[in-house]
Amino acid sequence: MQKRFVFSAIFAALSLAIAMKSSAQDISRLPDGKPDFSGIWSSPTTVNPKGPRGQGIFNADKMGQVKPGAESLLYEMRTGDARHDEPRAVCMPSGFPSGMLYALPVQIVQTSKYIVIVHELQRATRIIPLDGRPHRQGLEPSYYGDSIGHWEGDTLVIDSTNFKRWILDDYHYTDPTKSRWHSDALHTIEYLKREGNTISYRITIDDPKIFTAPWSQDFKMTLHPDWDEPGLLEYACEDNNRCANGHCTESEAQK
Amino acid sequence: MKRTLPAILFLGFGLFVMTKPILAHHSEAAEYDPTKPVKVTGTIKTVEWRNPHVWFYVDVKDENGKITTWGFSTSPPGMLLRRGITKDVFKIGAVVNVEGSRARDGSNNATGRKVTFADGRNVIAAPSE
Repeated sequence: MQKRFVFSAIFAALSLAIAMKSSAQDISRLPDGKPDFSGIWSSPTTVNPKGPRGQGIFNADKMGQVKPGAESLLYEMRTGDARHDEPRAVCMPSGFPSGMLYALPVQIVQTSKYIVIVHELQRATRIIPLDGRPHRQGLEPSYYGDSIGHWEGDTLVIDSTNFKRWILDDYHYTDPTKSRWHSDALHTIEYLKREGNTISYRITIDDPKIFTAPWSQDFKMTLHPDWDEPGLLEYACEDNNRCANGHCTESEAQK
Repeated sequence: MKRTLPAILFLGFGLFVMTKPILAHHSEAAEYDPTKPVKVTGTIKTVEWRNPHVWFYVDVKDENGKITTWGFSTSPPGMLLRRGITKDVFKIGAVVNVEGSRARDGSNNATGRKVTFADGRNVIAAPSE
């Protein structure tokens, strides 16, 4: 009996070792041994890049409980002014996390000191130091916040703070009567783990002015080597922005 | 369908009220009414292959020969490109049938959901967010 147990234990240990080695070899790595996230990836909510895309929104059913009285901080009624109802429509920044959820790809550029996430949407760029520095202090709150990263094993963890109050996601596409917002107390933690040619992407939303507790949702990003040519495209939003000052004008073609 | 080319086809409603679009052109749900489908056939007049959204314009001739230009908003160029849709697909003068949802403001703008060319090719062009 004891002999059988020993054999079983050895077999289990060997299997685990082989599985771990296999897992470690499965993914591309940088010379420093860290998982390689370089490349062009579909955004977390993209369902099918060749067809109608997924919605860039969080699943409301999986959000945390809203604090009593904080509903008005989470949802704002439509005003008719695009600068408020849908700032991206007037080429204002999408911000984070909404820009990450939008269905245009991101390119990740990685060194041992930085992870750089370049969004095709508005060509927004998140430069995330990995050297252990703390969050910057004394800066004005911003649309994309202040991000720092570190490794937990093979998982890249990105911690972001110092956001200005802004639209949380693309909820307004599903309900034209209102939009969904985060507060200026937003704190996010992203967990990126490479699995083959996908990234398991978890984001934790910690917004203590709105929710009773942090909550997380999981997405998947897919590597697209076929998008290396032509790479990320330029995104000059002002090029054909017909919605300045919150109102749109008709095209020359229709005048 | 071919016998009607290159003309006509206003289906459903007969609104010809020309009012200026007053809201954002990005918002699929807020700016375009899915309960007001648009289906027109005409010729591509011009294409704005630019960010933040590609727009293309279709001249549609009614029974009296009057031409109305419809503007269709669609995805950003990058999104179309990754669906295999390049600028060359939208040739000026090409006859197309376009299905979409009309702008809530009653203008002759719409979100272009599906584009069918005279040779039967279908292109998914929308949504326009």
